[in-house]
Amino acid sequence: MRFSIITKWELKETLKSKKFLTIFFLQISVLFLMIFIFNTFAANIESEKGISITPSLSGFASLDVDDQGHLFSKYINPEIIEVKNYSYNNSLERLKAGQTTGFVFVPEDSIEKIRNIGTINIQLYLDVSDPKRSVIKDEVNSTTKIMGDSISNSWVDSIAPQNTTPTVNQQNTGESLPLQIITKAMIAILLFLPLFLFGNMMIDSVVGEKERKTGEILMAMPLSTTEIIIGKSMAVVGIIAIQVALWMSILLLTGFQIISPLLVYMLVFITAIPVIGITVVIAAYSKNYKEAGIGLTFGYVLSVGILMVPALVYLSNKSLSSNISPLTMVIRILSGENIPIWQFLIPLGFVIIVSVIAYWISIKLFERDDVVFGPRPGLIRLSLELVGLKKRRKTL
Amino acid sequence: MYSKNLMIKMDSLYKSFGKIKALNNLNLEIKKGELLGIIGPNGAGKTTAIRITSCILKPDSGDILVDGNSIHQEPIKIKSMIGYLPEEPNLYERFKARDLLNYFAELYGVPSNEIDGRIEELLELVGMSSRAEDRINTFSKGLRQRIGIARALIHDPQILIFDEPTMGLDPATSNNIREFIRKLKGDKTIILCTHYMDEADLLCDRVAIMNQGEIIDMGTPEDLKSKIHGEIILNLKLESIDPPAALKIKEFSTVEAVDTDGNQYIISLNSKDEIKSILDVFHGKILSVNTKEPTLDDVFINSIKT
Repeated sequence: MRFSIITKWELKETLKSKKFLTIFFLQISVLFLMIFIFNTFAANIESEKGISITPSLSGFASLDVDDQGHLFSKYINPEIIEVKNYSYNNSLERLKAGQTTGFVFVPEDSIEKIRNIGTINIQLYLDVSDPKRSVIKDEVNSTTKIMGDSISNSWVDSIAPQNTTPTVNQQNTGESLPLQIITKAMIAILLFLPLFLFGNMMIDSVVGEKERKTGEILMAMPLSTTEIIIGKSMAVVGIIAIQVALWMSILLLTGFQIISPLLVYMLVFITAIPVIGITVVIAAYSKNYKEAGIGLTFGYVLSVGILMVPALVYLSNKSLSSNISPLTMVIRILSGENIPIWQFLIPLGFVIIVSVIAYWISIKLFERDDVVFGPRPGLIRLSLELVGLKKRRKTL
Repeated sequence: MYSKNLMIKMDSLYKSFGKIKALNNLNLEIKKGELLGIIGPNGAGKTTAIRITSCILKPDSGDILVDGNSIHQEPIKIKSMIGYLPEEPNLYERFKARDLLNYFAELYGVPSNEIDGRIEELLELVGMSSRAEDRINTFSKGLRQRIGIARALIHDPQILIFDEPTMGLDPATSNNIREFIRKLKGDKTIILCTHYMDEADLLCDRVAIMNQGEIIDMGTPEDLKSKIHGEIILNLKLESIDPPAALKIKEFSTVEAVDTDGNQYIISLNSKDEIKSILDVFHGKILSVNTKEPTLDDVFINSIKT
């Protein structure tokens, strides 16, 4: 139980550090910012106008139009292309001078031709030296299609008004399904986010011992490697537990609904153990902060993938195997699903297996003086030695 | 055979780092209450030997028995018997001196009701009581070394291992540290690795000279010094060397060896009796003359040469 001494002192010294406290509270302010952004996003989704996630192309490319009958120009979207009305000759001159990217000519007799069920010929002139021409071409094609459909519908209505489709008046109640899913997934992701905010603390705790050479003294203490690794890891897991609890409280106080908060908290908390386990493997192997930083990026991309991919799979086809990720389980709880107790064993089992493997590797690495003090064997050789496929190299 | 009077017995230790052999069949015995100095050039294997004794490193082969306990079987027990002070006083920078000692006391399992008293006593011993509430990162190297000594003593260990404790310190601080070590002598078994021969000469009961991972000579400082030819070394600086005269002085009965170093003769004598006669041989050619008794420096250089 001497690991608890390391945990206690690591926690004590960390919580006393002004630098740490600044970072800790900055993380909370990031949460507030995310809540604000999400609420704005949700408000936009729910509004009649909706939300545009495409950047405006207004002014990006200009198109001259000679459309005496105002047949084409009323369908073109001015938010995408800047439309200017010029005569045929002026437009051609402007095109040659590079003052416009394209020119559309709609013959004056087009409306007459439509009435006589004839074909209209719209001509598009493009400046091929201008790379923006493809935007003009796409927009003209889509406008022409919209215009054609609209004319066809008007014609059908004019000859058989009784066939007009009855209108349905929609009255919206409750939260829209996509927004519901987005909200639940966002809360779940926010709750899991603190798991990835303290990796550097773990790296500093282990790699720092190597870089500052304090590890030599620690290893001379009457402690096993297991006690050192577990003691240091539990300190970081403890910090994560505090941060998750704070984040959860803030989410609840700001009006987000969290069903079974204690159960959700426990699921997030136990996930911190293997995530920190993976971080310790990286820290135990790394010689310095730089190496650990690279490893941490890779490790966290892997961890996020392991959490997110099954959750996304569950959202699309609700397969049982996707419950392997605690994130899936949290999304299900937040969605108010009735989950059989045995299904909780799936993420729990996964968390236990990953934790045991990660901590076993970390302990084995930290036990090896060549990994701690050097010269460190290559990654492949080290892996083979760890699984017993190769014997540790000795000169004698 | 393990004697009850023995505290540490290093037996056929081998250790390599990649292609570098750090220890090559190291055998060493240290008695209870003894202060053993280990001297040797850089890379001789001193630090590796003491790191293995402290159970920080594992040997490739061989064993060390500490008070009868094997480093392979009882590393935790052995660690609790040892107070280790590494070459660099690497301490947790953000800790206050008192907190640091408290932390290590808890790790060593010092009973909680004894910790405060023990800390006060040690801070007093190393002269750091007034700085107890200051952070380690405000201390100079000398002050860190003092706290390092207090940390190594916090659990009142039977064995103390000091690796270059005065390295890089000013003469006054070095003397202070030597004084601490002298105070501890007799009460505890101490291994002192040092580059400073005068330090080893002053403090150690026995000195082991290490080179290339093995002990090449060992004994009390006096024994080692007596192995150097003669009791007295006569240094004669001449205008130029004089081989016929050198041949002549080799015939004196008190002369044991004659070495040259540039235009200087280094003559080892087993008595002072014939010094005047020797000087007469070089009459008129001597620029300077001095005599000195052999030191551990001479022993060390001589051992490394051979």
